[in-house]
Amino acid sequence: MKGFYIVGGYPDREKFRECLFAVAENGFEFIEIGIPFSEPVADGPVISEAIHKAVANGVNIAEIMNDVREMKEKYPEIKAIVMTYANIINGYGEKAFSEAFGDILDGVIIPDVPTRMHFWMQERGLIIPIVPFVTPISRPLDIEDLKSVKTPFIYYISIMGVTGSDTKSSGADNGVLAGQLTGNPVITGFGIRTPQDAKNALDSTGGFVIGTEAVKRQGEPAELINYIEQFASL
Amino acid sequence: MYDKMFYGRYGGQFAAETLIPALDDLEAKFEILKDDEQFNKELQHLFKAYAGRPTPMYKAENLSEKYGCEIYLKREDLLHTGAHKLNNTLGQALLTKYMGKKRVIAETGAGQHGVATATVAALFGMECTVYMGAVDVARQEPNVKRMELLGAKVVPVTEGQGTLKEATNAAMREWVSCVQDTHYIIGSVVGPYPFPKVVTHFQEVIGDESREQCKELDMTPDSVVACVGGGSNAIGIFNGFLDQHVELYGVEAGGTSDDDCKHARTLGKGKPGILHGAYTYLVQTPEHQISDVHSISAGLDYPGIGPVHSMLHDVCRVKYGYVRDNQALNAFKELSRLEGIIPALESSHALAYVLDNPEIFKGKKVLVNLSGRGDKDMASILERGLI
Repeated sequence: MKGFYIVGGYPDREKFRECLFAVAENGFEFIEIGIPFSEPVADGPVISEAIHKAVANGVNIAEIMNDVREMKEKYPEIKAIVMTYANIINGYGEKAFSEAFGDILDGVIIPDVPTRMHFWMQERGLIIPIVPFVTPISRPLDIEDLKSVKTPFIYYISIMGVTGSDTKSSGADNGVLAGQLTGNPVITGFGIRTPQDAKNALDSTGGFVIGTEAVKRQGEPAELINYIEQFASL
Repeated sequence: MYDKMFYGRYGGQFAAETLIPALDDLEAKFEILKDDEQFNKELQHLFKAYAGRPTPMYKAENLSEKYGCEIYLKREDLLHTGAHKLNNTLGQALLTKYMGKKRVIAETGAGQHGVATATVAALFGMECTVYMGAVDVARQEPNVKRMELLGAKVVPVTEGQGTLKEATNAAMREWVSCVQDTHYIIGSVVGPYPFPKVVTHFQEVIGDESREQCKELDMTPDSVVACVGGGSNAIGIFNGFLDQHVELYGVEAGGTSDDDCKHARTLGKGKPGILHGAYTYLVQTPEHQISDVHSISAGLDYPGIGPVHSMLHDVCRVKYGYVRDNQALNAFKELSRLEGIIPALESSHALAYVLDNPEIFKGKKVLVNLSGRGDKDMASILERGLI
């Protein structure tokens, strides 16, 4: 599975829409849409800065999701995943969020909700699948726990660090294991920059997502399109 | 299974998946060591011989006479490094040693927790990095120099408002990258489980001692008052009196007004949400973004609060009030002139609440947690022409 992450509403609505449709048109299987939150603790400098700018401009969830809805209507086969922090969904209301966007979202990625806290969001009414994380230091039991999780894929964080870190990949062993044990597709994220990185991820876990390098180019959608075309044929 | 992580509705473990093994390890080691004879012997020795515990309880006669109530001060300002923060950092440094980790990181607001962490890192021969908001680096320069003298590296954080919230973000990001060999000494009863429990445990010594000292004076206080940012000094002293018929007051930073971004009244003006590992009250915008906050005191300049305080607020066991910057400053001057004790601006909030609410406290015996001393605040107060 191949996908891109872009920050919702950044740098403005028009450019975000261009980027959103560009990813969809280039045949990627999923797109992660970030709903900005003022405290992006899982993100490195590039994505954090984009998020802070978006927050300063005012985040309009309805507007972002309207754009996602339009994209999804045009490209129903692409999986739409929201990536945001727990406070955004909790503040909106887990149930209200599910009711408003459950029909267009295939999953949510919430970096400050580890697998063991999924129940907390679900008890409060979140029915959209929560994408679980596996890391290089996940223990066998952590991965076993994912057998019963309903998710479009498992997100394997291949480095010890935040998004866009220079840190060397810690290998894909746990990502591969998660796929074998649970039967779910696995994508590798955090630290995928080049077509070679992406190819390595496809060869090992079977999927990748590119975030930081995409967000860097969100200000110039033409540049982003040039960039993503390199990955479309992988 | 996860009930242990919550105080009523509040708390939890809202942390990156990468941190979960380390949080589990911390919990497992803490649960064993908190009852371990050797561990406690070492900690008690450090408390006594190194830190200067027990700290005195002092009846402030001059202040009492002027304000018409009996004011007792728990003198955490006399603890080594000048604030209650050292209780926690000594405990967590010892935990770090027993866990076999050689490096510690910390966030700091006023710099008191940073200094207390740098101090224990020097003592235990550990490498230490402290994250501090760039604005706080400027307003608490003496503490930055102290940390550096003690051998710590201080990293100014320029993100956002450049205060404690951003320093905590930075420390959490760093911890994800080095969690296998580094312990994060969190500075208050905040963060993902088990941090609130661990920090509470090491700060309970304040309440335990206070209770004993009250007995020695053959006195039960009518009220116990403490300032609340994250809330570690407050829960430390409250825990000594929660099971008694004693009124408990937590005092939040009222800043300059109730306008947006002008205060840090987390319980007074916030609503529950998720930040830095826990579900707890937060000052936030209608769009669920975390608000900028303000306080004259860098240590209270934080939009969240320990989950235990959210619970105690909801069940009305503790009354949480506030004082404004100028009231805190007035108490700062009053204690200095009447008792010869210069309090930290944080602790001045607790005292100001007593001085400015005679209708609550007149004629009563009031125990105030004087959580820190004010030397660190002198430069910034002078610079702003406030005295």
